[in-house]
Amino acid sequence: MEEDTVKLISAEGFEFVIDKKAAMVSQTIRNMFTSPGNFSETRLGEVTFPEISTPILEKICQYFYWHLQFASGKESEFHIEPEITLELMMAANYLHT
Amino acid sequence: MEEGGLVRRCIEAAAESAKSVEKWRRQRRTLERLPTQLADALFRLLHHRRLLYPSLLEIFQYCLEEVDFHGENCIDAEWMAYLGGFRYLRALNLAGCRGINNSVLWSITGMVSLKDLDISRCSKITDAGIEHILSISNLERLCISETRVTSKGIIRLSSLVNLRSLDLGGLPVTDQAIDSLKVLVQLEYLDLWGSEITNEGSLLFTRFPRLAHLNIAWTEVNCLPNLPSLIHLNMSNCSIHSIFQGHGPVKPSLSELLVHGATFADVDQAFSYLNIDHLSVLDLSSSAISDFNFLVRMRSLERLDLSSSLMTDYLITPVASTAFKLRDLNLSNTKITTQSMCILAGKVPNLEKLSLSESMIDDTSLQYLTLMPSLRTIDLSKTGIQGCTYAEGDRLAKIWSLPVLQNLDSLEILNLEGTRVRDDSLHPLGLLKGLKHLYLKSDFLSDVSFHTMSSLPDLRVLGFQGAVLTNNGLLSFRPPERLQVLDLRGCWLLSKDGISSFCGAFPQIKVKHESVQMLHLDQSQKLGSSKLKPDLTQCEPLGGHHFTDERIKYSREELMELTSSPPSDVLAGSLSLLPVALKKADDRPEA
Repeated sequence: MEEDTVKLISAEGFEFVIDKKAAMVSQTIRNMFTSPGNFSETRLGEVTFPEISTPILEKICQYFYWHLQFASGKESEFHIEPEITLELMMAANYLHT
Repeated sequence: MEEGGLVRRCIEAAAESAKSVEKWRRQRRTLERLPTQLADALFRLLHHRRLLYPSLLEIFQYCLEEVDFHGENCIDAEWMAYLGGFRYLRALNLAGCRGINNSVLWSITGMVSLKDLDISRCSKITDAGIEHILSISNLERLCISETRVTSKGIIRLSSLVNLRSLDLGGLPVTDQAIDSLKVLVQLEYLDLWGSEITNEGSLLFTRFPRLAHLNIAWTEVNCLPNLPSLIHLNMSNCSIHSIFQGHGPVKPSLSELLVHGATFADVDQAFSYLNIDHLSVLDLSSSAISDFNFLVRMRSLERLDLSSSLMTDYLITPVASTAFKLRDLNLSNTKITTQSMCILAGKVPNLEKLSLSESMIDDTSLQYLTLMPSLRTIDLSKTGIQGCTYAEGDRLAKIWSLPVLQNLDSLEILNLEGTRVRDDSLHPLGLLKGLKHLYLKSDFLSDVSFHTMSSLPDLRVLGFQGAVLTNNGLLSFRPPERLQVLDLRGCWLLSKDGISSFCGAFPQIKVKHESVQMLHLDQSQKLGSSKLKPDLTQCEPLGGHHFTDERIKYSREELMELTSSPPSDVLAGSLSLLPVALKKADDRPEA
């Protein structure tokens, strides 16, 4: 796998390969990759989230990219469907996003 | 990067409207795994936006620890039935909820998690309601002030042995009731204002070994026994003979003593048993003391309230000699004059807040204020301050008095409401670059003063009540960058259109005016949100300020003149009145 990408794996086993820079938006993922010690996550460049379902993880990845691009400005709003707000909130809380 | 960006967005989206609530609600029946702080934030936002309804509470039954519904009159048996199912509820505030009665309390009987219950001012609660509360055996804090509970019900409270804090304010608590409560040895806080206890009953307070806060305002108690653990005592409106007279070598090291409106047989005698080494807060407001020599010993005082007392220039000397540590001094509504300021000047190096509202001071006092170097807040409202004095023998040579305040480096808050300051004498205030809050209320002021305000870079709150401001003046006002609140209540010449276009141009500024509420009502009607209660939380409550259209005072011609007078002309006129030194400061480019 390339150096500057990471693989995030959902509860159902779906794999999302995204830029490391985008994944670092999450404080939790950042800590995993920057803390000293030889974690398997750091070595393999992949993290499994057994608590986060596929659609939620997909939304989170979208947010990572949206955040990198737009969070500083006001030109775009990140839309959250009401149906997933609570699931997403819990996942975001876990990921410190 | 902002912390918790997505979490905050999710909470915001979840509480966007009743529709979005319905959508996520269908996904699950309870939020068992939701961390408490998230549940709490979501709950508060839903409550704030009035999106909560009884059956929605069910969702939160495993994740909320605190519920604050104070003042919500809609809370009734249905809401309470759901709250009774909250497994981990620790604190419940129902103060002032008019819908709460005895039978409704049945829902929360036996809640083992509940430690803090506030049902003050629920006027339908009687002794029968207390029977329900007795089953909540872990209660540590209970507030039942201003309910209809009698001494009989209060006696029953003795079975709540874990109580640390008990508020029985405004209830007819008798000596006998206190006698039965003496088993509550954990009590640290006891509020008995307006009760029926007497000197005899007050002897029973010695049975509470941990009692630190005691309020017996508006009672018949004259002599309070020695209570070594006490830190905070309120004996306002009592007729006091002695405090802490009695046995025991250890006297309480009181830090706060409030005796507002109290009368004393002999004040030196009354205070003679006090250990005043640590006394930092003393409230003597409205008391009938005419000899303040006892203050000399109180060298730790940080806050002293002498408002509406008999303090005069002749009595102020003891205050000056004890004032070294003072941070907050209130002399409002007393007969003190400039002479007192002269006596205090230089003696109060730590004074941060000084209130002289409704005192007899005048412009000559201001120079003494500059000898109080730590001052941050000065209240000069309703005094004879004019902003100028006249040179002796020459009624035409004005000397501006407000510029001396620029020597106070820490000055942040200045209140000049109800003084006779006019546009020209207000102008020098532009030199007070550190000012953050400025309060004005006067019908002598007009659009010209907007220019003065524009030159205050740090101004956050500007009160400009009752002034003769026009729409033109408001629209040409360049507010300081950091301005957050602009209070224009009572500025009767401003129209709804003028206010709304100003709000449009500066959305970050919260404008208070009689027409603002009308604007909000208009908007909510346009949105057709008749199903939801109108969200008035954005508007400031207007309190007792009724708006009267003062245009009836003026003739039609005078009115036309007022509304059409361009502000620049008035400014040019006033500039010619300014002394040379000040003109320079005003030579900044016009907008």
